[in-house]
Amino acid sequence: MDSNMSLIQVVDLAKTYKIGTVDVPALKGVSFSIENGEFVAIMGPSGSGKSTLMNIIGCLDRPTSGKYILDGTDASKLSDSARAAVRNRKIGFVFQSFNLLPKMSALKNVLLPSMYAGEQKDKKAGLHALESVGLAKRVHHTPMQLSGGEQQRVAIARALINDPPVIFGDEPTGNLDTITGVEIMAIFQRLNTEGKTVVIVTHEPEIAQHCKRVLRFRDGLLESDEQVTEQLIAKPGG
Amino acid sequence: MGILDAIQTGLTELLSHKMRSMLTMLGVIFGVAAVIAMVSIGEGAKQEALDQIKQMGIDVVHVKRAVIAGELLEKAEERSPYGLKYSDVNSITLVCPFAKRIVPLREVFADVKVGETPVPIKVVGTTPGYELVSRSQLQEGRFLTQQDVEDNRPVCVLGAAAKRELFGFDNPVRKTVKIGQGIFRVVGLMEPKEIGSSKASAAMRDFNSDIYIPITVSFSNFQIYSQQAVPATITSLRALVGKMNNRPSRENSGVSEIIVQVQDDTATPATASIIRSVLNRQHKGIRDYEILIPAELLRQQQQTQKIFSIVMGAIASISLLVGGIGIMNIMLATVTQRTREIGIRRCIGATRWDIVRQFMLEAMVITCLGGLIGVAMGIGGAHAISIYAGWRTLVSTQAVMLSFGVSAVVGIVFGLYPAVRAAMVDPIEALRYG
Repeated sequence: MDSNMSLIQVVDLAKTYKIGTVDVPALKGVSFSIENGEFVAIMGPSGSGKSTLMNIIGCLDRPTSGKYILDGTDASKLSDSARAAVRNRKIGFVFQSFNLLPKMSALKNVLLPSMYAGEQKDKKAGLHALESVGLAKRVHHTPMQLSGGEQQRVAIARALINDPPVIFGDEPTGNLDTITGVEIMAIFQRLNTEGKTVVIVTHEPEIAQHCKRVLRFRDGLLESDEQVTEQLIAKPGG
Repeated sequence: MGILDAIQTGLTELLSHKMRSMLTMLGVIFGVAAVIAMVSIGEGAKQEALDQIKQMGIDVVHVKRAVIAGELLEKAEERSPYGLKYSDVNSITLVCPFAKRIVPLREVFADVKVGETPVPIKVVGTTPGYELVSRSQLQEGRFLTQQDVEDNRPVCVLGAAAKRELFGFDNPVRKTVKIGQGIFRVVGLMEPKEIGSSKASAAMRDFNSDIYIPITVSFSNFQIYSQQAVPATITSLRALVGKMNNRPSRENSGVSEIIVQVQDDTATPATASIIRSVLNRQHKGIRDYEILIPAELLRQQQQTQKIFSIVMGAIASISLLVGGIGIMNIMLATVTQRTREIGIRRCIGATRWDIVRQFMLEAMVITCLGGLIGVAMGIGGAHAISIYAGWRTLVSTQAVMLSFGVSAVVGIVFGLYPAVRAAMVDPIEALRYG
């Protein structure tokens, strides 16, 4: 891998959905790159193409045209199982609705990605990950027994278990109240200072203020790309 | 994901829907139990029939007198007497020099008295060879000897049941019994012979209640026609009366059965055909005898049983099939219900194959668990049938392995389609779902 290369490199990316016989363009050719250690917010109104972009850079979907290079690999040309492996090892996902498996304990949820990685991490790694998000005492609770904020912390611990270079958050604070949302942002900020690249999709300007760089999308195009001048520092809550 | 993890996931999933899992499993449980119970009953019946045929011996050919009636009877009357005669024994001895033993049996019913009350008992006149041919064991004393036969000695050997009836628990050896008009000395007592359970053995005669005497004594003391059916016509009645007055020579005396034992049990069909051709000539084509080859019966029995087992197994397998369809149905519902879970798993790195394997293993956990319970129930059911219906059952390892194997295969076959459906779920769609 070339060390000068950006972690994420998107070149002229386009995605067109076919609905019946009508072509609906969702992304009309977008280019940008994200370096290692950045903390990026992706913003835009609904229909701007930000979800489509997130699906593609999250390796859940393939572009119609253009290039997407993640960590030195052209992910736009990978097979289904190769993309599964990329999702497993290079990306940590955090969702708006947490997406934990309801029947499993927090610990088992956290360990789940490592089960698909071929080398299952032991309990210690899971406990450590939960500890790092402040949930050391809730390891055996099921998601139903946890509050929204706690569930999102479990999800973050799960995203960290395979030590991926990048964390993708899709509206990670969308289902949380403001205070809890800020607490979650504090965790992302800490992860970022520890060297992780964090990319989150959000429509809340205040959440975007916690990031270092904002990409704004509109009608399938990149509207603006600017650095955050006065970054808000979230206080880690308890 | 390791296979153990996948199985554990499957079990966790099953345990979280105990009622549904149980109902899903029922089809397989009953299917497997039915297969095992059915096959066990079939195997038991087969074993019983085999035992009986084997008891007759597979290295022997039985020639029996046959009951005939009407025109055939009249024709047969021209030979006197009809049926098997002692001369047939001689003819067979002549054409079968390779035979190990040729034993004639002459069965008559006679009143047997120890005290005052006469008991009607079947008295079998025979030769020493019978002990070996019939595979009987002596419990006391000795069997008939060549000397007994040659010297016309009035001695007898009692079957176990006959002894019980006549002597109760006393030792009968060296005591005397009155058979018909003659006084006989008891020289031996037979070991009780296992004749299997009541059902199939009804057709077989009960050796235990016989009394054996030298065949020569039987010739001189008893008329074989005492047990004959009433003659159909006046002429035959007249012939019968005539015969009764003129005691036939030994050559012409009737016998009820001739047992021919050969060295090699594969030689029985050939021996039977030799005997058939000589008797056919002697009896002028009248079939007043029948030839039984136990080895042949055994083969036919095995053939019939095989078909029977296949049919039974096939019927029972239908319930396994239905069980499998039930599983497919539930698994399809499960896949829909768990779309979100599938999406999450795919998102965090599960490949399609991981998902296929997970759902296949879940289906197999259901069927294998159901199979295990079914095997237990089938074995229990077979035992219950043995106890309550008195049928012999035989749980064969093959049947158990086969039906368990089939239930595992049912899991694979009927789990495959739902599993593939699960793997085809689009993770983006799945995460939006529910």
